[in-house]
Parts: sequence; C-alpha cells; structure tokens
Amino acid sequence: MPAREATPGRETVIEKEKQIVAFSLGSETYGVDIAQVREIIPIQKIVPVPRAPDFVEGIINLRGRVIPVLDLRHHFGFEKKKQDPDQRIVLTEVDGESIGVIVDSVSSVLRIPEASIEPPASVITGDDIEYIQGIAKVGSNLIVLLDLTKIISDAEKRTLKEVDLASAVVR
Amino acid sequence: MNDKDNYQEYRQDLEIFLSEVDELLANTEENLVELEKAPSDAALIQEVFRAMHTIKGGAATLGLQDGVEVTHLMESILDEVRSQGRELTAEMVDVLFAVLDYLREWRNALGGDKERPSPEKILAKIREFAGNESSVAHSVSQQGTSSAVPRDGSRTVDLDGDGKRIYLLTVRFKSDAPLLSVRAFQVLTLVGEVSEVLSSAPSLDDIENDRVSDVLRIYLTAEDDGKEAARTARGVQDVAEVSLERYDQRVSRDNPAASGSVAGGAGNEAGFSRDESASQGYTVKKTTLGKTVRVDVALLDFLMDMVGELVIDRTRLTQIATRLQRSGETSAVGNEIRALAAHLQRTSAELQEGIMRARLLPLKNIFTKFPRMIRDLAQRCGKQVEFEMAGEDTELDRTVLEVIDDPLIHILRNAIDHGIETPDERVARGKPPKGRIRLLAWHEENQVLVRVEDDGAGIDPEKIKKAAVKKGLLTEEEVRKLSEKEAIELIFMPGFSTTEKATEVSGRGVGMDVVRTNLERINGHVEVRSQVGLGTEVTLRLPLTLAIMRALLVKCEDLTYAIPTSSVEEVLAIKDGDIRTIQGKPAMSVRGRIFPLISLAGALRDDKWKRGSSERYALLTRTNDEPLALGVDDLLGEEEVVVKEMGRLLSRLKGIAGATILAQGDPAVILDVQRLI
Repeated sequence: MPAREATPGRETVIEKEKQIVAFSLGSETYGVDIAQVREIIPIQKIVPVPRAPDFVEGIINLRGRVIPVLDLRHHFGFEKKKQDPDQRIVLTEVDGESIGVIVDSVSSVLRIPEASIEPPASVITGDDIEYIQGIAKVGSNLIVLLDLTKIISDAEKRTLKEVDLASAVVR
Repeated sequence: MNDKDNYQEYRQDLEIFLSEVDELLANTEENLVELEKAPSDAALIQEVFRAMHTIKGGAATLGLQDGVEVTHLMESILDEVRSQGRELTAEMVDVLFAVLDYLREWRNALGGDKERPSPEKILAKIREFAGNESSVAHSVSQQGTSSAVPRDGSRTVDLDGDGKRIYLLTVRFKSDAPLLSVRAFQVLTLVGEVSEVLSSAPSLDDIENDRVSDVLRIYLTAEDDGKEAARTARGVQDVAEVSLERYDQRVSRDNPAASGSVAGGAGNEAGFSRDESASQGYTVKKTTLGKTVRVDVALLDFLMDMVGELVIDRTRLTQIATRLQRSGETSAVGNEIRALAAHLQRTSAELQEGIMRARLLPLKNIFTKFPRMIRDLAQRCGKQVEFEMAGEDTELDRTVLEVIDDPLIHILRNAIDHGIETPDERVARGKPPKGRIRLLAWHEENQVLVRVEDDGAGIDPEKIKKAAVKKGLLTEEEVRKLSEKEAIELIFMPGFSTTEKATEVSGRGVGMDVVRTNLERINGHVEVRSQVGLGTEVTLRLPLTLAIMRALLVKCEDLTYAIPTSSVEEVLAIKDGDIRTIQGKPAMSVRGRIFPLISLAGALRDDKWKRGSSERYALLTRTNDEPLALGVDDLLGEEEVVVKEMGRLLSRLKGIAGATILAQGDPAVILDVQRLI
C-alpha cells in the first residue's frame, strides 16, 4: 500500500502520518490503514455456508446485503474462538464487493508517523506473505500492519483453485 | 339453501362469495370515510346501500341468516337516509363502521370455518338508530322490499294512462357462472334502480330460493326505453349477453289482457306471439370482456417454478454442448445444441420477465384500508387529520406489497401519534387545527417510491440524541459528533423508540428498525427527512421486480436452508419402518419407487451416507437427475424468498445457489439440490 497523503488541512504537519485502525487478535495487535476500512460493526449472527473455504466463517445480513465474513484467527493459524461480545467485524471492500473480517476487539484509531514503520522481516513473516505491510512501533507495542485487500485476494485465489479442482473431480 | 350436504360445492360457492365480500367491504370502508366528510352525498349512500344489498343476497343464498339480518338492518337505515331524507349523523356513521367491523369478523369466521360472531350486539346497536320503526319492523323474510322489484313475479302490470312501452330485458349468464342466484339477484335489483320492473322470470322469490337458470327475463318500463337498464345489467359480473327488445306492441292500455299475461311471469311468455327477428328491439352483445383476467396466484407460482426449471435445463444443455464440442466427431452437434441453448435462454428470460410482470398488483390493494385506519387512530388520539392518497394505481410485485404493508401501517401510525399535534397545539403554533397526512406513490426510473408526509411536529434531533443516550445505545460523546441527519437516522436503531410509554397507537414492539429490515429483505430502502415544526417525510424506495424464488425452508443441524420448491416432488415424514437398506445403504420405497436416503447434514459435509440423528422428514427430489430422498430435521414452511448474491468468494460452491434473508433478518443459504451430491 503506498503511503497516503495526510488529509487536506493537515499539510502543516511536518511528519507524514498514517491513520490506522488497531485491533487485537489473541495477544497481538494488528493495524489496518483506515482507508481500507468501510465500517466496523458489532459481532452478529454469522450463518455458516456449507462447502465454503475454511477461512470463511459464514455470511451476515448487512442492511439487506449478504456479506461473507472471514475469520482472521483462522487465517493466521490462531485457534478458533467462541463468539464474544467484544468481537467486531471490520468491513472492507475489494473490487466493489464488501467483505467482513472478524477481529477480537477494536482498540482505537491511531496516528502513526510513517517513520516508525519498519518493513516486515522475512524471517517472521515468510517470503510469500505480501499482506503484511510493515511493523509499527508504538511505545512498547508492536503493531503488525495488514493489507486487508491482499489477504482477501490471496484467499480468493486459493478458493477459486480449490473450487475448480472440486468441480473437476465431480464432473 | 339446503345444499350444505354437498360441502365441497358449498365451500366453493362460499369462497367466491367471500372474495366478493372482501371487495365490497373494502369499497364500503372507503365510502364511509368519504361519507363522514360529506354526509349528504347521495351517490355514496347509494354505493354503500348497494354493497350491503349484494352481501345480503349472497348471504341469503348461502343460508347465512345472521349476515342477512345485519345487512338488512343496515340497509334500512341507509334507506331512510336515502329516500326519507333522514340526516346522516356522525353517530350513525360510527354505527355503520361498527357494522362493517362486524361483517369483517363474520367474513373471517366464515373463511376460517370458525364459529361466527353473534350478531345480537350489533343488531341492538343498529336498532337504536333505526328509530323509524316502520323500516325496522320489516321482518327479514320481507327483505328486498327496499328496491323496486316485485317479489313474486305476479304483480299485475298496471300500465299508466299514457301507455308506457314494456321492454323485455333478457340477461344470459355464463353457463359456468357460480352463484347464479346471487348474480340474478344483483341484476334484478340493479335494474330495479334504473327502471320500473314489472315482473321477472324467474321471480325474485324464486331467485332467493335458488330456483334459477342461466337466463333471466325482466319485463320493465323506463323513461329511456330501458337503455340504462341494459347497460347496468351488462356491468354485472358473469353476465354473458344482454338483449333488450320492445316486448309487444299489443301491450298497451288497449289490451289489458296482455298485461295480465305478462303478469303470469315465468314460463308463460311462450303464449305470446313474439317474432324475435321482427321485433324492433336491439341486441347488445356483451363486448366489454375487459383486457384483464384474474389468475390464481398458485398458477402464477407454478409458472414461475416452471420457468426456473427451464433455466436449469438450459444450463445443463450448455454443459452437454460443451462436452460434445470437445470431442471431434460430435462437435457439429455440439454447436447446434449450443445455439439451441442460447435461444432457450432468450425465451426463458423473456418468459420469466413476463411472469414477473403478471405478479404486479396496484398499491390500491393495501392502500384502501388506510383512510379508515387513519380516521380511527386520529379519533383515538384526539387529533384532526386530513388524509390524502395519490398514485394508488402504481404497480408492484405482490411480494413487495406484502412486505411493505406492515411498515406503511407503522409509519402512518407514527405520523398520527408522534407527528401531528393536537388541534390546540397546532393553533398555538399558527397552523390550521387539522393536520395533513399524504400517502403518495410514483415511479422513478427503475424504482417505485412510496412516501408518507405529514405537516406535524417533525423529529427533533436533540430529543433523539437524548433518547439514544438514555437507552444506552450511544454515549454522550458519540452523540455529540452526530449531524442532524445522522441523529434522525438513529430512529432506525434496534430498540429505539422515543415515546416514554408505549401508547395504544404506536409502540407495539415494531419499530423503525423492523421497517428497515423488512425493506432491505426485498432490496428496498427507507429514508427519513424531517424539519422541526414543519413535518416529516418518510420515503420507501422499492424495486419494480425481484429475483424471487419459492422455496421450502428446512432445518438441518439448527441451521435453516432454503430449497427451491420446484426441485421438491414430495415431502414425507420418515417413519422408522420406511427405511430399508440396499447394499448397506439406506433407501426409502415410495409407491414402488426406490429413493436412496441421504441426510442433508451428511451431504453438506460430503459424507453423504452418514445419517443424521434427528431427521424427521424426507424430501423426494432429484440430484444429478437421479431420484433421491433428502433427510432433514424439520420443515419450516414454504416462502417466497429473494435471491441474493454472496459475492465472488462464495459464488461457485457446488450445490449452493445463493442466499436469502429470512423474515426475522438472518441470512440463509439456498441449496441447488441438482448439484448437491
């Protein structure tokens, strides 16, 4: 994700900043560029979809639209968690379609100086993981900055492959 | 009528009668609301009278004495107003409304085969008002005297001095017309209103005792030579042909004998030398067959299901074509099939659209009850309201109509309860004491807009904010950041209602959040605009047509799934004894056909032979064109569901056709049984 310009009217700020929505997953803190976040809604009834890929938790009714929701815990290999009221669904948009991502809790919107963001170290993240944009140090905390769009397109690519294989076997 | 033995036939007649009653009651309600504003409008009184009269006729034919008595008394009151110049007071209108409510209850009891409400109370109420004993004294057995039709068909034809001409009006009903006696009764009374009926065959008594044939002959005299009478008769339902002719030249004062014979009524007219071709009368064929037909909703649903089947076949045809095209020898055949499939697609798409259009109904269907509702509510709240409607001919899919009915009631209630101020308050604010509510509908691009506007107090964003904080929906801090528009939007939050105490009028547990949810289910939208002191405007944006599918809702492992009705042949309750095994696999034998039994739970987990533990029903269906019994835990009924996309991520799952949103707002997956296994 290219560094975003500061909002108009904030040009006087000397240091370039990034606004991120910070949320927790397990004991870790993650962040997403606020531009990727459409809306954050309380956790609600998620209806599982049979035969959907593992990382898809199910579908929700968002104002009359049916929207798939992904479980980021699953994506990152954390163990599954029972639904609790602190959880939130972060809605993002990929190619014009809304997709939700479940997170444990949303802590705050933070302004992070771009200088404090370091590129991801491949030792931790692995080479093929493009969806980690960097790691920001905020005080003593480390925040892993995610690119939601990439996570989803990644997932989508894998799904399409799986589904094609599945139908090839069937037919 | 004694044919209750023949219950089936009775039910059938009853159904037709009831649907007519519905229409008549709805019209009467509208007319009464109007009548309240213009109590001396003779045409309105006449309309109400006529509706009561028709219901009375139908009730008499079906042997429903209570209905006859009530409508008869109501008729009597109206007759006093109509012909004796009695003043129609507000109290009388209230009684008329009460009668209407009674009739509605009565009608619903009939429809549901339940015990009918006792008419005593309402009869007493009417009698109180029918002060003029003369008309009330009519016993029910003398019903019908209010119209100018001789009862027995044997009234002596008394030609007046200037020798009025007698005309014979022959009314032929459709041979398959149900409720023939009701129609004959209708024609006779209507004709009696526009002409002087001398006699008829069959007579009024015969008609009331169900002795009718499909031809009704009416002998009459009229200023306009019976033209109006013929026109009136033609307007009655199930009338196939109406002819009007000069009865006989000889009938004049010079020939009293002839008039005596006319009085002979039924059967006797053969005695007259009457050359029809030579008569000077003219024959009017009934040409107004109309451009519309009534179609049973079930038939439409069936057609829609069939179109669904066509679409599926088309898809499969394309697949076959693709397979054929791949192998060299058959590629020509493949091409041909592919072209055919393309054509089939165009045809089925058009067919589908045509059927969707046939499902359109005018908004009138739900609008008609609103004037009365508004009147009652306003009265109860001590408010004065002038209600206007426009655009009730705008058409919408019937599912959309069903879905917006409750929301509109709710919005209108709000407008009266929270919107319009009391007359005193209004005057104090420099407004006219009478508030105004308008219900408007119109087309806009590909949508239909329905708007409720009032000139009441408007929604105060500050009050809304306070209420939201008080109810713990938002914090002070969150509320402070809201714009006025955003604050007004808060009324759509679940659990929001500004009234301190739930009043009888609003606050029945449905809030604007339910309104929004309902609309979103059908891809609609609701917007609110309001200005403090000036009024509120609630607009519904509705789709013209919908991707609707009839589906069976089933339960499987605590989840609800929708299965297109078109793919289910039959539903059976599973009894233990029904299940056999064939090569170790469960199967059901139904009337000699073998259906492998697969549990839906197992199928969805791709472990198809695993039996669920709590399956109580089996759906007989086909998958990959093989017969199959699909085991489910429970059946939740059949519903029309709006098909929604689930997005690319979930669009290509085998056996999953899409999703829908159920009545209570949860999403549910729609299964494609053909590709389930």
